[in-house]
Amino acid sequence: TVIDQVTGKKIIGVSIKEKNQPNNGTASNADGVFGLNVSSANAVLIFSYIGYNTREVALNGKTNLQVSLNPGLLLNETVVTALGVERESKSLGYNVQQIQAKEISEVKSVNFLDNITAKVAGVTITQGASGVGSTSKIVIRGESSFANNNPLFVVDGTPVNNIDIVPRYVEAPSSFQAIDFGNGAMDINPDDIASVSVLKGAAAAALYGSRAANGVILINTKDGSNSKGFGVSFNSTTSIESPFKLPEFQNTYGQGNGGQFAFKDGLGGGVNDVLTYSYGPKLDQGTLIAQYDSPVTLPDGRVVRGGDVGVYSNIPITPTPFISHPDNLKDFYETGKTFINNLSFSGKYDKGNYRLSYTDLNSQSFIPGVDYLRKNLSANLSFQPTSKLSAKSTIIYQNAKSNNRPSSGYGSENLQYGLLAWLPRSLDIEPLKNYWQTGLEGLRNYSYNYTYFDNPYFILKENRNELNRDRIFGNIALKYDLAPHLFVQLRSGMDYSNEGRRLLRNYSTNRFKNGAYAEQNVFYREINTDALINYTRKINNFGFDLSLGGNQLTQDFKSNQTQTSALAQPALFTLANAATPLEIFTFASRKRINSTYGSAKFSFKNYLFVDVTGRNDWSSALATPLSTKNTSFFYPSVSGSFVLSEITKLPKGISFLKLRASYAQIGNDTDPYQTAGAFVPATPYNSAPTLTDQNIIANPNLKPEQTKSAEFGTDIRFFGDRLGIDATYYNSLTENQILSLPVSISTGYAQRVTNGGAVRSKGVELILTGTPILSKNFRWNSTVNFSTNTSTVESLPDGAKQLTLAYARVYDSPAQTVYYIATEGGKIGDLWGTGYLKNSDGKFIVDASGNLITDNTLKKLGNYNPDFMMGFSNSFKYKQFDFGFLFDWRKGGILVSRTLALAGVAGQLKETEYRPTDGLAFDGVVNTGTSTNPVYITNTKKISAESYYRQFYDRNNEENNTYDDSYLKLRQFNLGYTFDKAALSKTFLKDVQSIKVSFVGKNVFAISKIPHFDPEQLALQGNKFLNGTEDMSYPSARSFGLSLGINF
Amino acid sequence: CTKDLSEINTNTNSPIDAQPSLLFRKVLFDYGEQMSFEAFDAGNLLGQYFTMIDFNNFDRHALSEPLYAGNPWPFIYKNLRDNEIVLQKSINNPTFAVYKGPALVMKAYMTAALTDLYGDVPYNEALKGKSQIFTPKYDKQEDIYQGADGILKNLENAITAMTAYTGTNKLDGDIVYNGNLQNWIKFANSLRIKYLMRISGKVNVAAQLQAIYTAGNYIGANANNAVFQFSATAPNNFRITTTRIGDFSLYIMSKTAEEILKNYNDPRLSLFYRPTAGNASLYTGLINGPDATTNPVTVSNYSLTGTIFRENGANLKYNYMTAWETNFFLAEAAQKGLITAVPKTLYDLAVTQGFEYWNVTMPATYLTTGPALFNPLSSDALKLIITQKWIPNNLNGYEAWIEYRRTGFPLLKPVQASRNNGLYPVRMPYPQEESTLNQANYKAAATATNNNSINTKVWWNN
Repeated sequence: TVIDQVTGKKIIGVSIKEKNQPNNGTASNADGVFGLNVSSANAVLIFSYIGYNTREVALNGKTNLQVSLNPGLLLNETVVTALGVERESKSLGYNVQQIQAKEISEVKSVNFLDNITAKVAGVTITQGASGVGSTSKIVIRGESSFANNNPLFVVDGTPVNNIDIVPRYVEAPSSFQAIDFGNGAMDINPDDIASVSVLKGAAAAALYGSRAANGVILINTKDGSNSKGFGVSFNSTTSIESPFKLPEFQNTYGQGNGGQFAFKDGLGGGVNDVLTYSYGPKLDQGTLIAQYDSPVTLPDGRVVRGGDVGVYSNIPITPTPFISHPDNLKDFYETGKTFINNLSFSGKYDKGNYRLSYTDLNSQSFIPGVDYLRKNLSANLSFQPTSKLSAKSTIIYQNAKSNNRPSSGYGSENLQYGLLAWLPRSLDIEPLKNYWQTGLEGLRNYSYNYTYFDNPYFILKENRNELNRDRIFGNIALKYDLAPHLFVQLRSGMDYSNEGRRLLRNYSTNRFKNGAYAEQNVFYREINTDALINYTRKINNFGFDLSLGGNQLTQDFKSNQTQTSALAQPALFTLANAATPLEIFTFASRKRINSTYGSAKFSFKNYLFVDVTGRNDWSSALATPLSTKNTSFFYPSVSGSFVLSEITKLPKGISFLKLRASYAQIGNDTDPYQTAGAFVPATPYNSAPTLTDQNIIANPNLKPEQTKSAEFGTDIRFFGDRLGIDATYYNSLTENQILSLPVSISTGYAQRVTNGGAVRSKGVELILTGTPILSKNFRWNSTVNFSTNTSTVESLPDGAKQLTLAYARVYDSPAQTVYYIATEGGKIGDLWGTGYLKNSDGKFIVDASGNLITDNTLKKLGNYNPDFMMGFSNSFKYKQFDFGFLFDWRKGGILVSRTLALAGVAGQLKETEYRPTDGLAFDGVVNTGTSTNPVYITNTKKISAESYYRQFYDRNNEENNTYDDSYLKLRQFNLGYTFDKAALSKTFLKDVQSIKVSFVGKNVFAISKIPHFDPEQLALQGNKFLNGTEDMSYPSARSFGLSLGINF
Repeated sequence: CTKDLSEINTNTNSPIDAQPSLLFRKVLFDYGEQMSFEAFDAGNLLGQYFTMIDFNNFDRHALSEPLYAGNPWPFIYKNLRDNEIVLQKSINNPTFAVYKGPALVMKAYMTAALTDLYGDVPYNEALKGKSQIFTPKYDKQEDIYQGADGILKNLENAITAMTAYTGTNKLDGDIVYNGNLQNWIKFANSLRIKYLMRISGKVNVAAQLQAIYTAGNYIGANANNAVFQFSATAPNNFRITTTRIGDFSLYIMSKTAEEILKNYNDPRLSLFYRPTAGNASLYTGLINGPDATTNPVTVSNYSLTGTIFRENGANLKYNYMTAWETNFFLAEAAQKGLITAVPKTLYDLAVTQGFEYWNVTMPATYLTTGPALFNPLSSDALKLIITQKWIPNNLNGYEAWIEYRRTGFPLLKPVQASRNNGLYPVRMPYPQEESTLNQANYKAAATATNNNSINTKVWWNN
């Protein structure tokens, strides 16, 4: 029998396994009773159950056991570490933080990464900015590489990709804009997850190879080992979404400039109708003004709209009331809906177990027509034909689809461009729903302006970006016991995906007069095969565990994009319908890493543990066509753990004390084809091909990069494990990085590939876990995650003073750019840009006419990384009720906002509402002295409010458009009630094990200094996902839902 | 463990070497395509053909804040790089010797475009990134024009190489002359005339000009123009034909253009501009550089740019060098006494060819009565030559502005709301990247230009 140590109540469904016989297990029944045939009378049983400490009990010949489980903390559990080995956390010399299935699936997010947000100390996840299906970015322990900070994702021992491939686009205001088609790891299905372990440091990961230098997210999927016979479970979540936050607009002034407006053709034919500033006449004054939706009576008596400019000319528009439309943006959005349904079967029999699961996810965004549809089929099979041989397999197939992934970045393809930055405050959005011009249906869209803007409904319906991705990942592992303490394991895994994308643009699109069409296919395949031999022995007090293995990784990538910038027949989206020569962009690459690795784990009694690992990689990416001399690199690690509480009597109150330390080196390679130059195709002339030298100078002498990382930590628990503190300090140095260093274009090239530079990352992570209340009926668990990280650039290659790592710009204008610059002594995350001229007191220097003065010198705007982050999660259980919430606090860091810059200049935002008729004076000084001997007096010269705001928020200056990005967010909550077997047995549902209903909420509210949008932002620029810039982002979602879980 | 690694890391997408024909075709098209966009978006503002009504910092002479074009430095260097690869191949491999002359001509042409805009620029140490020169020194414009590997010498060497070429390999990839080396020699000589005139204020170029003029082997007729035709649709179209309508309709006729063309009653007015929206016979321009925040412009009151730049862009050519431009330079040389010739003959020929080039019928009396009538004795003779050259120079890169800086003609107007203290800029600023990526050399160059000032004249303009 298994009982609760505190309440004495029987516990149902406890997993009981025989140690070292992973397929021999059972679970306790409704009475807490279990039975298990064990391999020997002295076998050790492992008892685990969510919410209780895992316990190992040696049988010592006994056949009848009463085991009590401690519902205290989760700290003594086993965690899954490298190579899928389950280990007791006390034996680890480094920090691994584990999240259980419940925490992942309680409040589900469409993007798997968002399920981890704020739950793990030191892990930063930022959700994407283009609605459901966007990429979320994950960084563990800060960014320390100039090139790649992506952690490695491993599902049941096999790496799966988390790549994001953006279709080819141009930053110039022509052609397609960037589109985010999501990140690879987003499709991991929360309903199939048993646990997630985050190996944060390099030490934990040395055995996974180079890619683990940025940490590893280790995912274990559910299998059938815990089922009793045949079980069925059904989970369903329905949620509704609405925009988290919409901008605060001014609603006093309508479209126009200088207080004047009249629509004629939306091209400048009327009064200030060339653009859509809101510096026009006052609204709601009873004024009648010709507008895009005002009527026009044609000579034949038909009445059309002002914006139907294709069917009439020189006929006056009948003016209509010029009134405010405070909710014109709000009215555009609908209510989003997400349905997630999961059905799984699991079972166990004498020679193995299985679990089959099907999940259907259907998410309809609040942005009309934007969706994400995913079907996911997974199978976990385990088979033990003989006592020596076992086979295990996880196979996951999925299909993800979207009928529209909205375009990102600044420009007319992004809905937010016309809907927010340039949406006149006088605009009634309703008439736009009928988005074709009368009589020109299918040919010309109807809009409020024709210079730069497309009707947003037209964009949504006619100019979609489709996605259809098939993916299979999984592995097969065979394990054979050669001798009692010796086994071999052979495993092969694959991640295969094939993704088709279609970019549709119909006639009359501003960027494509005659439409456009592109097809992109992205193919990715990674195969990992490894063989491992392991010898485990315990002799007296000494234990050791030796492994030796080899791995081969082969990655293939292919992308083909074929496009035309004009269609012959409108609305026919095929390549055969191209009216211009097809443009074709292809890229294929292959990479292989061969590795051998070894590890040795030693233990003494139950308080001293030492691990030593080593790995040697041979990477094709460091080979040149003639040489492989730089391909090999070796990296070792050592870690140790010392459980002080096992050997000395500690002061009363301290129930457990462990110290740990680790040191690891980790080598890294680079992307393929960096070691030899190439010529690349350029625009053909009259269909005759052309070539140009690539702008990057390759480097045949590339050497592997090197990260050295040290970590110290302690794990202390008090009051019978009711309170625990886990503290970690780390210090790592990434050296000799492989990077593309920008060089002056006068060298003929823009970048050169080189080794060099050093970044030191230091940080502290604290995890405070407590159970403030624990009684028979009520239990309160609380966890605080706190982390801080600083990554300092200690040196740059070849004495370079600074290095631009990335940029975020409006179109391709160097003057309208946020630069992500690493300087010697600077921090990763420093943002640079320009502002207006200021004196040494930080006051604007205003010229004689009252205008600000442009200062083209780049200056540091700040750093986007927070000073610290904190997650505060709580769960309460009262009888059959449970309740939980998660707060997320981010302190510090800056955000440069394009919405503020553009919608500010255009006069849409609340900030621009104050417009006194005699104008406004900049809060600054005027120099009445000379340039060498300045004398500053306060500026009193007033300029028009329109001049004032258009200068202040001008997109050429980033300084005035920067926010403090601190926030406190209620990330999620859940409130549930469980009907257990006892309650159900009296009803018609007597065959049901349990039913749980919950009310959940996600991204509920935030306190921040940003009035216009979610402070959590990710921008897509130059094929990179960047923190620190808000780039005309779509609103994020606030969601509330109901979920139902039934177990048969 | 290293088996196959070299093979796996061999890029199968792209070649490690390229045929010179593919590179040469790329240089000729790409440079022309980019410079024609520069011309519409930036060159035509500084030359006061167009004015821009919003997002117009560049038109208000904040030259470091262009909207799109206005930073030609990167594409000129990239094309110089590809051209240099062609040139080196022609020198090192006898099979490709036919490319030597044309590649030298293109080197001279693109280098002149660069130095005429910026002044001192990296030249002798430039383009050597693959030889590990990552911070090239700036050379003096004087040396770039006159050095051993300079613009003028390279044009002479080009002619020598082409004259001496006896091989049978065709100049493949030549979208300008379809491989006709005789025309390339004419092109080279026309460029010599142009660049000698460019430095004629600093150097006595009379003898050289006279020799070229006497030999007569330059582009004398439009049939021999160094041009290529844009196509109607992507990807070889004139870029403005497919840009957003807003990026076209923010450009309207400059007051300067209105006055010049109306003064001559020049029919090219209706080629380069459209009548105002309200009145089909009214052409109205606006003084450059308005401040849109205090003075919103009602577009319908002004002339937009002509259909040739938008609807009829397929009629446009990119213009490397033409007969009319050559003859205008010769007319000026004759008028200044640098060559012995009748200036009026050359002037009349140039004006006529300018009309012909733009496919507009020259009014019968254009050269015989009225303000375009040339009088060598008039004190305004030089002004007339340069002003008349200004008209067909529309869309010819930054040529109109460069010639304005050299000659002071035509009389351009101060911009309405200058962001350069009312001064007319006389050079382009070095791009900001130079200050960080080529710091020490940039510093020296910036010091020589009064902190990278756009008001510091280049050497030939001093």
